[in-house]
Amino acid sequence: MGEVEKLCDKVISTDLLIVGSEGAGGHAAIKAHSQGADVLIVTKGKIGQCGASQMAGVDFNVDGKTAKTLGFTGDDRDSPERFFEDLVREGLYLNNQKMVEKYVEYAPKAMKDLMDWGMRIYGYDSVHAEEMARGITSAGTYWVAAIRKKVKELKIPMLEDTMLIDLLIREGRIAGAVALNIKSGETILIKCKAIILATGGWHRAYSFNTGSYDLTGDGIGMAYRAGAELISMEMVQFCPITMVWPPKDRGSIALYVLSCIDPFDKYIQLVNNKGERFMEKYDPINLEKSTKEIVSIASELEVENGRGGLHGGIFFSLKHLRPKFIDAIIRIANNRIKNELKDTRYEFTTLIPELIKKCKTENIEVGNGAHYMGGGIKVNENTETTIPGLFAAGECSGGLWGAVRVASACTEVGVQGIIAGEVAPKYVKKVEQAEINENQVREILDRINKPLMRDEGITPNELTKKMHEISGKKVGLIKEGSLLKEATEELLEIINDDLENLCITSTKSKELNDEWIKAIELENILTCLYLSAKSSLIREESRGEFYRRDYTHTDHDNWLKTIVMKQKNGELDIKFENPVVTKISLPKGKLTYQEAIGVATASLKRE
Amino acid sequence: MEEKKIIKVKCFRFDPQKDEKPYYDTFKVPISGKMSIQDCLVYIRENEDPSLAFFINCRLGFCKRCLIRVNEKSCFACLTVVEEDITVEPLMKDKVIRDLWSKDI
Repeated sequence: MGEVEKLCDKVISTDLLIVGSEGAGGHAAIKAHSQGADVLIVTKGKIGQCGASQMAGVDFNVDGKTAKTLGFTGDDRDSPERFFEDLVREGLYLNNQKMVEKYVEYAPKAMKDLMDWGMRIYGYDSVHAEEMARGITSAGTYWVAAIRKKVKELKIPMLEDTMLIDLLIREGRIAGAVALNIKSGETILIKCKAIILATGGWHRAYSFNTGSYDLTGDGIGMAYRAGAELISMEMVQFCPITMVWPPKDRGSIALYVLSCIDPFDKYIQLVNNKGERFMEKYDPINLEKSTKEIVSIASELEVENGRGGLHGGIFFSLKHLRPKFIDAIIRIANNRIKNELKDTRYEFTTLIPELIKKCKTENIEVGNGAHYMGGGIKVNENTETTIPGLFAAGECSGGLWGAVRVASACTEVGVQGIIAGEVAPKYVKKVEQAEINENQVREILDRINKPLMRDEGITPNELTKKMHEISGKKVGLIKEGSLLKEATEELLEIINDDLENLCITSTKSKELNDEWIKAIELENILTCLYLSAKSSLIREESRGEFYRRDYTHTDHDNWLKTIVMKQKNGELDIKFENPVVTKISLPKGKLTYQEAIGVATASLKRE
Repeated sequence: MEEKKIIKVKCFRFDPQKDEKPYYDTFKVPISGKMSIQDCLVYIRENEDPSLAFFINCRLGFCKRCLIRVNEKSCFACLTVVEEDITVEPLMKDKVIRDLWSKDI
């Protein structure tokens, strides 16, 4: 055994390391394994019981024409070409069109796989409120169960409850990674030729978010430290009508989902603390059925002007309905959820009926939860990052969506999972295992151990609170230059000072040490949040999910470009890149924010 | 703001690496609005004792991994509402990794 093998508690070799086991990672692993690749999955939790996929609503997208070939009702008016056009137009042209083409092309393949693996399907429906049905509905829990079953059936090797700490690079390409078993505290040196990152978003940068606890931007943080390019980090989607209160249901999007489903969508009103149906003011024509962005911004403006609830939200209300009518709604919901769909998820079987019932006597406080991260590790249509041997799939990647995620993220992860699972094994065949840089391993281990050695400094809980203060007040839904500037300065100071002074004093045990794991995660979350704030400050316009009150126009003349960031010699290097165009040429002109997203009727004036 | 009620949460503690035998710690948790067992444990970890080990992930009944024993009955920590003083223990006391997290979850 060489010196380098002795540095970690364990050493494992594989050809292809896949980080993440769910919608993207699990799918990629199955594809790569079926091509004969030597694969190892490392996942932060247990397969089928971690990450974002389990919590998805869920809908998958396939264009109406191709859907018919899969046995769904479909829609003859639709076509792959039309789907492509919608994605680029509604994404407000910042999309990488080559990636959009692949999304449309591979969407039916991803769907077919899941059907073959036995995922239960509810039906074919219009979920994203498109003109035509394009969605295949199911449940996130069925989705991850189908993937888990297949991964187990194929006996794909897997390390569960294990998080990746950092990527190992030799001469500019992947040589391996260092991982940590969260349960035992053991470090693992993984030698590999290639890595697929499928680590999801960085929701925990916001105290109010809709994601699971493990979404801490680990993949994006590691890729950035390794020198990979990131793209569109300013694009963060917030979900309106997310439960703010009580604590038990905080972060649930059950009421948002309900507000999208016929017939419930007809009866839902959003009101402020005076009981006023405020959407009448912001978008008198579309009201609560306006776009996600407009409803979110309107809600935020109400809160900002002192018309919100005690916990920072506005209210979901059915008070205009008679109690008997509400009972009827509960009956319809129960019948649909329990009898027709036979859904078993708590949010649907229990929470929704409970909340509707509660609406007989009170309103429910809801708000904008950080929901989906549109940017991430820059990849091309083949899921290749800018580092040879490093691939990224799903929410941790960026480039597909442009300025609005208009279609299914579940389809995105399946599509990119398949592509990564096809492309990475080919790469692996071409290269030799690179030598591990011993010093790099040493540095990584030193870095993660330092907080355990310190007896004073700032604790991970204190630093998390500090970060949430900044993200909540200065990098939220409605952005403003002066606040973003403050946020970038404060976050940079935190990264340079506090991160270097993190200390863990409650227990020095390495087993299930939540404080220690948080300390490691904080470096990743703070990287994501800082780069997002910085990117937001640079983009001097408003576009889709990105809204700046000091630059309210969508400026095609100056801002049809993406912001690309990477670390170079320890410094942040920023450049602009034109979106990749294949079929749809980029428009010109300057539109109001509302015109650009097609809700010209809405007014978002500040009081 | 709403009135806060204070409850006592008695937690099973055990670090097999250093403790000879398990013991219990009692924490006071202010209840404000409907809170789950998990909300209480998060409160303790963020405000009282960051070393408390327990499982948390989806917080909304999806992952089905936060099984725990409350007043000697097994339940999901994220779905169980707390109103009165409680005793919280791991699912399998004889298979504890640390505190409230046993090897079987």
